[in-house]
Amino acid sequence: MTSTPDAAVSLTGVTKTFGKHVAVDDLVLSVPRGSVYGFIGPNGSGKTTTLRMIMNILYPDSGTIRVFGAPLSPAACDRIGYMPEERGLYRRMKVRELLVFLAGLKNGTDIRRSVDDWLARLDLSDWADKKVETLSKGMSQKVQFIATVVFQPDLVILDEPFAGLDPVNTEVMKDAILELRRRGTTVLFSTHDMSMAERMCDFVCMIFRGSKVLDGTLNDIRDTYALDTVRLRIAGDGAFLGSLHGVDHVNDYGRMQELRIDAAADPQEILRAVMLQTTVEQFEVVKPSLHDIFVRIAGPAAKKAVQEGAHA
Amino acid sequence: MRKILRFAGREYRAAVKTKGFIIGLLIAPLLMSGSVIAIILLKDRVDTTDRRIAIIDQTERMAPELLRRAELHNTYSVIDTATGEKVRPRYLFHVVETDTARSSDQYLRLSDSVRSGALYGFLVIDSNIVHPGADLDRAYVTYYARNTALDDLRNWISSQVNMHLRELRLQDAGVDRSAVEDLFVWMRVEGRGLLTRDAKTGDIDAGREATPVEAIIVPIGIMMIMLLMIMMSAPGMLHSVMEEKTQRIAEVLLGSIRPFEFMAGKIVGGIAVSLTTSAVYILGGIIAVTYLGYEEYIPFHVLPWFLVYMLLAVIMFGAMSAALGSTCSEAKDAQSLSFPTMLPAIFPMFVYLPVVKEPMSDFSTWISLIPPFTPLLMTLRMSTPESIPLWQPVVGLFGVLLCTLLFVWAGGRIFRVAILMQGTPPKFANILRWALRG
Repeated sequence: MTSTPDAAVSLTGVTKTFGKHVAVDDLVLSVPRGSVYGFIGPNGSGKTTTLRMIMNILYPDSGTIRVFGAPLSPAACDRIGYMPEERGLYRRMKVRELLVFLAGLKNGTDIRRSVDDWLARLDLSDWADKKVETLSKGMSQKVQFIATVVFQPDLVILDEPFAGLDPVNTEVMKDAILELRRRGTTVLFSTHDMSMAERMCDFVCMIFRGSKVLDGTLNDIRDTYALDTVRLRIAGDGAFLGSLHGVDHVNDYGRMQELRIDAAADPQEILRAVMLQTTVEQFEVVKPSLHDIFVRIAGPAAKKAVQEGAHA
Repeated sequence: MRKILRFAGREYRAAVKTKGFIIGLLIAPLLMSGSVIAIILLKDRVDTTDRRIAIIDQTERMAPELLRRAELHNTYSVIDTATGEKVRPRYLFHVVETDTARSSDQYLRLSDSVRSGALYGFLVIDSNIVHPGADLDRAYVTYYARNTALDDLRNWISSQVNMHLRELRLQDAGVDRSAVEDLFVWMRVEGRGLLTRDAKTGDIDAGREATPVEAIIVPIGIMMIMLLMIMMSAPGMLHSVMEEKTQRIAEVLLGSIRPFEFMAGKIVGGIAVSLTTSAVYILGGIIAVTYLGYEEYIPFHVLPWFLVYMLLAVIMFGAMSAALGSTCSEAKDAQSLSFPTMLPAIFPMFVYLPVVKEPMSDFSTWISLIPPFTPLLMTLRMSTPESIPLWQPVVGLFGVLLCTLLFVWAGGRIFRVAILMQGTPPKFANILRWALRG
């Protein structure tokens, strides 16, 4: 996706190096207003560096960053809520006091009412006057999230918001993010959870080794791949699947298998070959999942190819 | 600015609302003046066990007088007449015949008696001491005891022996003691400040009497208060920044405030803490001193300089502490950096004695113009009765201002780079590189 003037965030030719290591390389990015934008990529690919540059915490070596059409400035940053991946809170402060303090640093208005609203929404009202050190990890994460959104920002940046959360709190967090979108807030979040990105994001961008490798809606991205995936559920062990003619790769989930087939292979032939060996309970020809696309780009085979290319 | 003040407000509340701060406020002056208080409280706490001393008097003219003087001591100095309490040991002297043939054996026997506790010590008075002439090395008075170096009794014996020796020498010279009674009257040299003329009345005053309180205790006390202010704020900044970094609070804050605002908030908070503490100590001190009737010793003219220098010192050392705190990834890093960071603030404590003794010397002048030392040493010099030329505190202030700006500038650059850096130990070369290159 190219930069557009009405984007919430737009990056043009942004590069950031640390010594000899290029963390972000000539990145062009545009986050549409009001969207939920997923930022994916393997560890060390430059996601956090990019988010820190958008927050003006790190400065790019070259390129420009604009937020809501204007160059990055302290005033622009006051419209952004930021929840970093490495997050902590003042443990000896009381929850409400801390949230009011953090919202105050963003020059928020009507802070106290907003704090109480969010505490009630995330079921933390009873903890408002307790010290942060008394909270569980999940509660602390929710307080952290409230601190990010309580001053009613126009853009919310969340670095790995679901990391370390149990399924219940993951649901709470997901609902809160979607609630923000309903209110018109733009949400940009990084994640390793591909299924969450698939279900929540209007747009997905993947960054690998500092460069953008995917950008667009999920359908756009999946459309660039052919119907080359067979999803199977069979009786018994699927160890034989890898030896079938036309199967490039098997992803065995135990109760379900995903086969990547080569372009010349016929799925019906593969179905017949499987039926010769076992009972087929489910058979589906689909486009690859985001998870599969991620692995194809950043998995061991891809890394090996990159290394071989570098040595050549 | 609003963000700096908000952040500073939190820092201030976090510091002063703790029990540690309130306890520290009370205990710190006690600790710093602890040795003085201990001396005052313990000065009468002496071992009052009687001291049995054997005297070997080879002159045969000294012992009777020493016994008489010991008796006078036992009669008038041992018992506190007001309380009836024994406050000093009695000196129980007895004479032992001189064994000239085997003196070493005799001394060994007496030493064994000291070891067994039968004696406290023994005194050997050489026969030549009354008229040693040119051969001073052969005349001796020796006091043997377990620990003679720090024994008060040795000083007492020394004083009594010499007083009696003078009398014996006069006697031997045929001088009538009563005719020269005032020969032994000791005259004190009174110290006074320079005379001034009263601008209104035209009268010339007598010059102020110089006292140790005005010349030493007040200047050192004021310097100690300033050191206390610095020590109660700057090292705390190092640790709190380190905590914010290691507990991952720093990046949350940097999403809202710039690194400069972060550091400035810390420093402004530290200044507020110092002002609170100094208000308590200075106002409390003035009230207490006035109540005790010593208000004439308060150098009010130094107070504005004290406040300006203190604020700049807190900014200077606070900026460096916050910057170095940002380079620490774990508590042991902060521990190892604490002392070097505060060394420039503590250094004046190593040189304050020659400075307070001779505040106008070249050494005192130049060392008090070295910016990191200026706040403490210039205030110390200005608090003495000496009149320090005005150009010196002004030049000192200019130097401190420049140094403060340099520290804040370098500290800001170090802070910005180091605050997000995890796992990199605070090596001097790295810190210098961050300060110079950003």
